[in-house]
Amino acid sequence: METAVDVLFSGFSMGAIYALVALGFVLIFKSTGILNFAQGELCMIGAYICYYFTTELEVPYLLSLVAAIALGSCLGALIDLLIFRKLVGEPVHTTILVTVGLASILVSLTGLIWGNDTYSIQSPFIGKAIIVDEFIFSEASVATIAVAVVLFILFILFFKKSLLGIALMGTAEDSDTAGLMGINVKKMRMIAWILGALVASVAGIFLAEQSFVHTGMSHIGIKAMAAAILGGMNSIGGVIVGGLLVGLIESLAATFLTDLALGGFHFGDIKDVTAFVIMILVLMIRPHGIFGTKEVERV
Amino acid sequence: MVRNFKVSYREDMALLQNRWQKGWLGILILALIFVPLFLNRYHLSILNEISIVLIGALGLNLIIGFTGQLSLAHGAFVAIGAYSSGLLTGNLAIPFLISLPLSGLIAAGLGLIIGIPALRLKGLYLALGTMAFGFVIEYILQHWDLTQGDLGMGVKQISIGAWTIKTQLQYYYFFAVLACLFVLITSNLVRSKIGRSFIAIRDRDTAAEAMGIPIAKYKIIAFSLSAFYAGCSGCLLAHYNRWLVPSSFGISLTITVIAVIIVGGLGTVLGTVLGAILITSIPHIIVYFVDIVQNSYPALSGVVVEIKLGIFGLVIIGTLLFEPAGLVGIYQRLKVYWKTWPFKY
Repeated sequence: METAVDVLFSGFSMGAIYALVALGFVLIFKSTGILNFAQGELCMIGAYICYYFTTELEVPYLLSLVAAIALGSCLGALIDLLIFRKLVGEPVHTTILVTVGLASILVSLTGLIWGNDTYSIQSPFIGKAIIVDEFIFSEASVATIAVAVVLFILFILFFKKSLLGIALMGTAEDSDTAGLMGINVKKMRMIAWILGALVASVAGIFLAEQSFVHTGMSHIGIKAMAAAILGGMNSIGGVIVGGLLVGLIESLAATFLTDLALGGFHFGDIKDVTAFVIMILVLMIRPHGIFGTKEVERV
Repeated sequence: MVRNFKVSYREDMALLQNRWQKGWLGILILALIFVPLFLNRYHLSILNEISIVLIGALGLNLIIGFTGQLSLAHGAFVAIGAYSSGLLTGNLAIPFLISLPLSGLIAAGLGLIIGIPALRLKGLYLALGTMAFGFVIEYILQHWDLTQGDLGMGVKQISIGAWTIKTQLQYYYFFAVLACLFVLITSNLVRSKIGRSFIAIRDRDTAAEAMGIPIAKYKIIAFSLSAFYAGCSGCLLAHYNRWLVPSSFGISLTITVIAVIIVGGLGTVLGTVLGAILITSIPHIIVYFVDIVQNSYPALSGVVVEIKLGIFGLVIIGTLLFEPAGLVGIYQRLKVYWKTWPFKY
C-alpha cells in the first residue's frame, strides 16, 4: 500500500512537470509549427534565474519566482524576435535544426555564467512535508502539482473564454485565414513563444524544487516530448494525460526495474530512458498520439 | 576560355568537367601526399580528426542533405560502429580489415531496424524518434557489462597483417586514403540512380512516388547507407583514440556532425569536405586563442567546452539564417563574381 501511494505520488508530481513542459511544446508547435528542441533549455534557464535571485541576491522567494518567470518569458520573446520571425515558411528540418543550435547556445551560455556546479534554490518548501496518516508527502511536490493544476485551468479558460486565446487558436488553425480576419499573426506567434517560455520557466523552477539546478536539467525537455507525443502534438487536454502517464510509467519503472539485472545488463537509472522508450513505441504504433488528429497532406 | 559545351550525356555527367578541375585535383592530391611530411604530430592529429569526421558527416549528409530525412541518431550509429569494432577486434580477435566493414554493416543493420519504423514517420516525428533511439543506445552502452560503461573500454591498435599503425603520419595516410575513397564513392553514388531517387524523395516525396520511385526501398537504403558510413567512422575513431566512453557519443557528437553538414552546405559532397575541415578546426582555434590570452584570463581554459558548444550553435543558426547554402553557396557566389567581373549580367 505504501509503495503504491509513493509510486502514484512521485509519478504525479513528475508527471505534472512533464505536462507543463509538454504544454510549452504544444503552445509553440500549434501556433508556429516549430518543434522547439530548446524547451528543456528554457526550463533550465528559468531555474537558474530563480536560483540567482533567491540564493545569490537573497530576494524573497515569491518575488524571485515572479522575476524568473518574467525574465524567462522575455527570453522567449527575444528568441522569436531575433530568430524565428525570420524563419517563417522555412521547411520543418530547418526550424528543428535551428532549435537544436539554440539549445546548445543556451547550455553553453549557462555553463559560461554559472559553471557546471550543482545548486539548489532557497525555497520555503525545503525539508517540509505534509503527513497524512502514515503517508509523507513533500511540500515541494504538492506545490508542483497544485501549480500545474492551477496553470492548466487558467490555460483552458484562456483558450475558451478570452479573445486573445481564441485569436491564438485561430492562428494555430490557419494562420493565413487568421491574418485575413484581422488577427495580427506576428504578434500571435510572439505571444505563443512568450507563453511557451513562461510555462517552461515555471516547470524548470518546480523541477529544481524536486531535485537540483544543473545543466543536465535540460534533458527534461526531450523527455517531455514523449508526453507531448503520447498525448498528441496538437491537443492541450492530451498533454495532461500524456504527462501524467509518462510520469507514472517512469515512477513504476524506477520502483520495480532499478535493481534488476539481465545477464550482464543492469537496469539502474532506468528512469532516465523510460520516456524515450515510450516515445519510440508511441511513434511506431500511433504517431499522432492518443488525442491528436492525423495530419493529412495535400499535394 | 575553356570550351564549355558538351556533346554527350557522358561528358555532362563527368565528375571532373574540364582541364582546370583535373589540374587542381592533381595539385590537391600531391599536397595531400607531400605536405603532411612537414607537419608536426599535433597538426597531423587535426588532419586525422578531419578524416574521421568527414566520413561520418558524408553519411549524415546522405540522409539529411540528399534524402531529406532528419535523423538525430548519428552519434548513436558512430557509437555502435566504435563499440562493435572494439569488441570484434578485442574479444573475438577478428583482424581489423574485416572488422572495419563489419562494424559498418552492424551499424547499417541497426539503421535498417530504425529505418523501417521511420518509413511511417516524417519530419519532426522522425527527428524525435531518432533522437530517442540515440539516448536509448547511450543508456545501453552505459549499463552493459560488455561495454563497461563509464569505466571505459580499451581498443587495440590497427594492424593489417604483421604491420601495425603506430605514428600519427601512418594514421594520416591510412585515414586520408579511406576518406578520399568515401568521398569518391559518395560523389558517384549521388549522381547515380540511387542518388537521384534520394533527391527526388527530398524534394517532394509524393511526386517521387507518383513517378515510380519506391520510397520505402530508397528510404531504407538511405538509412542503412548513412549508418554504414557512421559505423565505419566510429570504427576508425575507436582505433584512433583507443579508448571508448559512452558519453562521448551523445547528442553533442550529433550536433557537431550536423554543424559540419549545415556549414558546408546540405546536399553537397564538396560542402561536407569544407564543413568537416572548418568545424574540426574550430575547437583547435579556440584552444589556440585561449592559450594566447591565458595569462590575462586564466579562467578561460576551464570553459573551452562551453565556448565550443556555443560556437557550434551559433554557426548552425547563423548559417541557416543568413547563408542556407553554406560554404558551397559562398564559394559558388565568389566563382560567379569573378567569372562575370567587372560586369555582372
